[in-house]
Formats: sequence, structure tokens, C-alpha cells
Amino acid sequence: MDKLARQLRDDAQSIDVTISDELDRRIDASLRSVTPAGEKRRAVPVGRPALFWWASTITGVAAAIAVIALINWSEPEQTAPPPVDLVATVPAIDLKAETAMLTTPLQEELDRLQSDLRKAEEKVKRDIGL
Amino acid sequence: MNDELKLIAAAKAGSADAFADLVRSYRERLLRFLLTRSPSYADAEDALQDTLIAAFRYLHSYDPRWRFSTWLYRIAIRNAARLRGPDLVEIGDLRDEENDPLQQCIADSETDNLWLSARQLLNDEVFAAMWLRYAEDMSVNDISKTLDRSASWTKVNLMRGRRTLETHMNGAANQAYG
Repeated sequence: MDKLARQLRDDAQSIDVTISDELDRRIDASLRSVTPAGEKRRAVPVGRPALFWWASTITGVAAAIAVIALINWSEPEQTAPPPVDLVATVPAIDLKAETAMLTTPLQEELDRLQSDLRKAEEKVKRDIGL
Repeated sequence: MNDELKLIAAAKAGSADAFADLVRSYRERLLRFLLTRSPSYADAEDALQDTLIAAFRYLHSYDPRWRFSTWLYRIAIRNAARLRGPDLVEIGDLRDEENDPLQQCIADSETDNLWLSARQLLNDEVFAAMWLRYAEDMSVNDISKTLDRSASWTKVNLMRGRRTLETHMNGAANQAYG
């Protein structure tokens, strides 16, 4: 420690101050009347803020997802449905096989009707004596 | 955990007794410092009381990475500035010599007390920096935190303060021998 530093330290210590009993009592009384500002904070559990923020984040994300889902859900009702390609939606059919399947009974019916018609013509001819 | 940290923890929990024990060793030092910045002894006592009340009330904001004395002095400097009001800018303007509380607390035989000269020669902040360095033995970093100044500002102004006081001392010595 150099000369100046030593003198400054010694001179500071030579400043004669004392805490009087009256000041001591005043300080003591005022400290007892003070409520530390931190006590209000202690009412909140220490672990809560982190949990709170996690819960808030999750709630926020869930709410965002719900809003997005709702918007997307209601959109088709508000707009005209897109034209449906019917050709694309009808399953392809093997037309040759289907035709045979559908026409065979009709052909048989037609043959029977023609046969009945011929029988009726012959009966009429016999009846009129032709 | 050392005693000071235990007392801080108890005081944070609301114990006025723990806080009183915590600051007991700082009270005289703070009063001495406040005396250099107050217009009267009573004002210095009021500033000390306000400082301790504010420290207890806002102890929750104390960061243990700081030295407790650094935090306490920071509050004390603010309180002293508030007591002095905005019109009194420099410490040297504070008082006439007859009613100077610092003068009254220095024995008649020690009229060459360097702090009396320092108060006349240095501005408010440089005086505070010098006091914290040489009367309180604070580090440059702690002083810069206390005064809310950069470390480089603190170093430069400590150097200037020293040079000013050394010149004053040498001048006084030359006068004595001349």
C-alpha cells in the first residue's frame, strides 16, 4: 500500500462517528415496521411458474390446432362443391361379358313370344279354314 | 454457506433481527460515508436509516453474485443524492465550514485530513470512487457496479483523483517546508 492509499485509509478511520442509542432504536423500530417486498412473492409456490408456462404453452398450441381444425371443417360448407368426375368414380365394367349376361334371358323370351305368335297364327288360320 | 449468506436468507424470509445483525458491521462505515455527502449530521443519520429500510424492503432484489457491501453502498449513494436534492450538484457546495458535519467529526489536530481536501478538489462521483477504493477497499469492478459506471471510467477517474490528491499533498508539503 502506497503512502497516499495509507493516508486515505487512516484519515477515513479518523472520522469519528458513533451510532447513538437513539438512532439505534429508531433504525430498529423502522425495520420492524417494514414488510419486505419479497414476502408477497413467496406466497406463490416456487415450482409453479415453470409448470404454469408449460401448461400455457400446451394450451396455446391446442387452441391453435382447434381453431385451424374448425376453420378447415367449415370451409367445404361455405364453398360450392367441386364437380365430381362420375366416369372416374364408376368402376370399370367388362362390357362384353355384361352384354351377354343381360341379353340371354331376353332372347329366350323373344323366341318364346315368336313361337307363341306362330302358334296363334296357325290356330287362327285353322279356325277360318284357310 | 457463510454467516452473511445465512443472515441474508433469514432476512429475506422477513426476519428484522437477522437483517439488523447483517448490517450491524456496516452501519458506522455507511454513516461515515454519508457524512461526507450530507449537509448535516442529522441528515446523514436520516440517510443511513432510509438506506437500511430500503435495503430491508428490497432485499429480495439483492443478487448474491454482488458483494453485499456493494449493493448497500449503491442504495446509500442514491439516498444521499435524494436528500441533497437536485440543486446541490457538487459535494464541495454542501456547507459552510463552521457547520460542516465532516469537519466536526474530525479532531482539531487532524485538520489536514485528506478527505476534507478531496471533497473540495474532486467532483461528487470521483470522490465516491476514491472513498470506496481507499476507505472501503473495494475492487474496481465493485466500484463501477456501485456507481453504475464502466470499469474503464472507474480506473481513469481513480487515477485522476489520485493525481489530484498527490499534487495537493506535495503542494502542502512544499508549503510546510518552504
